[in-house]
Amino acid sequence: MFESLLNALPVALQLGSLISLFVGTLIGILIGALPGLNPVMAIALMLPLTYGFDPIIALGLVAGIYNGSMYGGAIPAILLNIPGTPAAIATTFDGYPMTRKGEGGLALKTACWSSAIGGIVSALALMTLAPMLAKVTLAFGPAEYFWVAVFGLVSIAVLVGQDVSKGMLSALLGVIIGLVGIDTISGEERFTFDSLYLSGGFELLIVLIGLYAVPPVLEMAEKRNESYFNSDSFRAKPSGGSLGLLRRHWRTWSRSSLIGVAVGILPGAGGNLAALLSYNEAKRKAPDPETFGSGNPVGVAAAESGNSADNAAAMIPSLTLGIPGNLVAALVLGALMIHGLQPGPQLFTRSPDVAFGFMWQMLLTAMLLLLLGGMVATRLFAQVLRMPSALLVPTTLVLMAVGVYTVNGNVTDLYVMLAFGLAGYLLNRLGFPLAPVVLGVLLGPMAEQNFRLTMLIAQNDWTVLFTRPISLGIIALLAVVLLSQLWKTLRHRRQSQDQAA
Amino acid sequence: MTGKGIDKTMNYRDLFSGIAFLIIGVTTVWMGKGFFADAAYVPIGVGTLMGAFSLPLIWRGMKSVLAARTTTAAGRHTTPHPAPALVDHAPRFTTTLGCCLVYYTALPIVGFYTTSALFITLLAVLLGERRPAVVAGITLGFITLLYALFAVVLKRPLPVEFFLAS
Repeated sequence: MFESLLNALPVALQLGSLISLFVGTLIGILIGALPGLNPVMAIALMLPLTYGFDPIIALGLVAGIYNGSMYGGAIPAILLNIPGTPAAIATTFDGYPMTRKGEGGLALKTACWSSAIGGIVSALALMTLAPMLAKVTLAFGPAEYFWVAVFGLVSIAVLVGQDVSKGMLSALLGVIIGLVGIDTISGEERFTFDSLYLSGGFELLIVLIGLYAVPPVLEMAEKRNESYFNSDSFRAKPSGGSLGLLRRHWRTWSRSSLIGVAVGILPGAGGNLAALLSYNEAKRKAPDPETFGSGNPVGVAAAESGNSADNAAAMIPSLTLGIPGNLVAALVLGALMIHGLQPGPQLFTRSPDVAFGFMWQMLLTAMLLLLLGGMVATRLFAQVLRMPSALLVPTTLVLMAVGVYTVNGNVTDLYVMLAFGLAGYLLNRLGFPLAPVVLGVLLGPMAEQNFRLTMLIAQNDWTVLFTRPISLGIIALLAVVLLSQLWKTLRHRRQSQDQAA
Repeated sequence: MTGKGIDKTMNYRDLFSGIAFLIIGVTTVWMGKGFFADAAYVPIGVGTLMGAFSLPLIWRGMKSVLAARTTTAAGRHTTPHPAPALVDHAPRFTTTLGCCLVYYTALPIVGFYTTSALFITLLAVLLGERRPAVVAGITLGFITLLYALFAVVLKRPLPVEFFLAS
């Protein structure tokens, strides 16, 4: 295997492959930076165009778009509080407050390095651990996936924000929003009120843009005469050099990359979950967890390395077993089949140059991010904040409108986005965290489907949820998160009482 | 605003938001009961949990409101400052929302690029930008960029301009 890996390196370094990597990464950053456009859409649009190309060039474009978009999503998340991709939700938690504090340049640089490091670790994992790790995921059944979803949801609801009951209410609200539409198992319409629009359910991206992007724009509009952004936002700090970043974040990068790789291998669990779990873990381990959410660079580093580490790892079950880990992985399988290649274990023996060449391409695009990401993001995209805020408000609203409109080509989506925006604005003002709402929309259906599948398989014997060893491991992790939060709350209360006394 | 003032206002709001969540929870359970077999599990469970988690919020809010009333009745004022507004600047807030609604309504009729250009110009002026050259320059540059990206490169279908529609 190692020999095949080395033999594939010259294939990945061919001129055609390098050009495709360069172009793909640039397109990826641009696609990721534009809310409403996502890598799945870009790759799906591009695949038919690559029909006449060599497979390694087509896969180079896919690798570039995939890795580039994951970093690109961080750009609007940091500058405008709009997650360019769902995986960039966690980046907004600290990225945007950093911009507000005048550290937008540092946030972008941290995000760029973190994405690159996460991508490199993920590609190395793909190269070395693929066959071994794929076997582990075979042990995951619906019960385990149910607990993974519950773990993601509860840990975010408990850890984000100050008030546990408000966090849980936000998460439950998200789950209810996610329930709207036709039930995929029974075919029954739920909470649709006989509306044709609602029967399709709410599009995640529309909920996401509404909840996350509209409230800050409304706040920006309200504070027209106040200085909304710090003019020093993009001046690099003297201590913000690359070596400084490396020294400061290597622990976070290592931890988050490992989380991202582990999540990536699980089919269905995407970069968003990886980023949120990495963020939580970084917050839990930090000596100053109270600074998270108010512009801590460690939060950006954790989220970005976590979501990028998911990328190549998600390809592990696709390439080794032919089971796509996410939509992009499914498209990669499609790209292989378009070019007459059969995904699965035989791919490594019949077309090792393509299989291992693609792994090298994932590694090379992660490295390219350092060059293209830094150059494009900090010197070009960041100029957006130099605009007067009275113009930034309408241009951002137009960008949101075009992003939401292109999802389904339906104007109703724009009104829905605005409604979610108003709800988000109100929830924010009432002290309810928004992240658990989005997580509820995302993970609620995953938890429900796997729960019902478990019950169907076990013939309504609910004890099956608590008897499998992997499930028990996840439950134990959940208990650790809940108990540590309880301990922190009690300690905080005792300290407050002591101070009051 | 003092810390106490903010806390009391938030607790007033906690009371009402707790009641709102309780209503949503109860409604979800009530509607969920009508769903077929296992399609009802999660709605009923989630609604019940929502109701349960809204109770501490209502309790906390009620306790705080009652405590505030008691101190007020005793002649002591613990909230000397006005409550923080839910909306910071109502005229700008409603202007932005109003313009958005008009923009979304006009979009399929007038066309994407024309409506967007008018929307940017109008809202920028209403929000206080008074430099015509800056407004015109940024609007033109932004719309050109959008056109190049969505119409030329990505070829995404957007609402057609009224003067091009046959």
